[in-house]
Amino acid sequence: MFGLSNPQRFMAFTGPLAPVLWAAAGVLLAVGAWLSFSVPADYQQGDTVRIMFVHVPAAVWGLGAYGALGVSSFFALVFRHALADAAARAAALPGAALTGLALVTGSLWGQPMWGTWWVWDARLTSVLVLFLFYLGYMALRASIDDEQKAARAAAVLGLVGLVNLPIVKFSVDWWNTLHQPASFLSPGSSGLDPAYVPAFLTMLAAYGVLFSALWLSAIRTEVRRRRVVTLRARRRWRPECSTWT
Amino acid sequence: MLDLDMSPYAAFVWPAWGISALVLGALTARAAIAGRRWKRDLDRLEGAEPRPQAARSAVGPKETGPRP
Repeated sequence: MFGLSNPQRFMAFTGPLAPVLWAAAGVLLAVGAWLSFSVPADYQQGDTVRIMFVHVPAAVWGLGAYGALGVSSFFALVFRHALADAAARAAALPGAALTGLALVTGSLWGQPMWGTWWVWDARLTSVLVLFLFYLGYMALRASIDDEQKAARAAAVLGLVGLVNLPIVKFSVDWWNTLHQPASFLSPGSSGLDPAYVPAFLTMLAAYGVLFSALWLSAIRTEVRRRRVVTLRARRRWRPECSTWT
Repeated sequence: MLDLDMSPYAAFVWPAWGISALVLGALTARAAIAGRRWKRDLDRLEGAEPRPQAARSAVGPKETGPRP
């Protein structure tokens, strides 16, 4: 496993894995969408229950992506590992997009069910803070020219943002919120209606596999980008190759 | 059996699914385009990169001073 921290071994190992993940994500998304529109409407929420199949997976993997970003940032900061830094950077954009999707689809679900697009309750606010952490992370990286300094500063911000993850997860338990508490795999809750479980789990898996494919592809692209930057820099400094610059 | 009649909530359900499809599609397209671009650049650079031994014999002894 630790052998994969070598970029060359990582590229060799993940080369065949990426197309498999893309194909699996496509199949799971297609099956999940079909299941989502095959289940009966909810007796209370009507057809808006179908928003759950895109809202919850986006929220779960938006949170998971930040976990990946934070753990990678830790390894990048403590061990100065370039691949860990690439992994942290690669998780930012898909994570931000998924968190943004969770906010937008949640708003579209909230209006017909709660009668409001937005409310400043603990769950919604903490997810908005998570989204802002993503934006801050990407903005910080983009604003510093020196890649090593940018990586270190962004890793610190990434680690600080980890504090927000338990707040997002437990906000519905710690405070009175308009947002419902966890209703799946949560002891004591009424649980999800069994009719919705296959569609929900398929979409959850689809988003997870898609995030994995996006993350892996982004790490591979980042490794290649750094290699290109290194080769270009080397050419500029090698007199015998000066005709190529 | 597919049920595509979302009334009276069609104005909420379809945008939620549409935006999700759009964003996920855009992420996928961006990943593919960026991946191809950097792979092409790297292949070109590595293809043009001379092997160290070949480079040395081709250009003679290494220069020590700054280039004019």
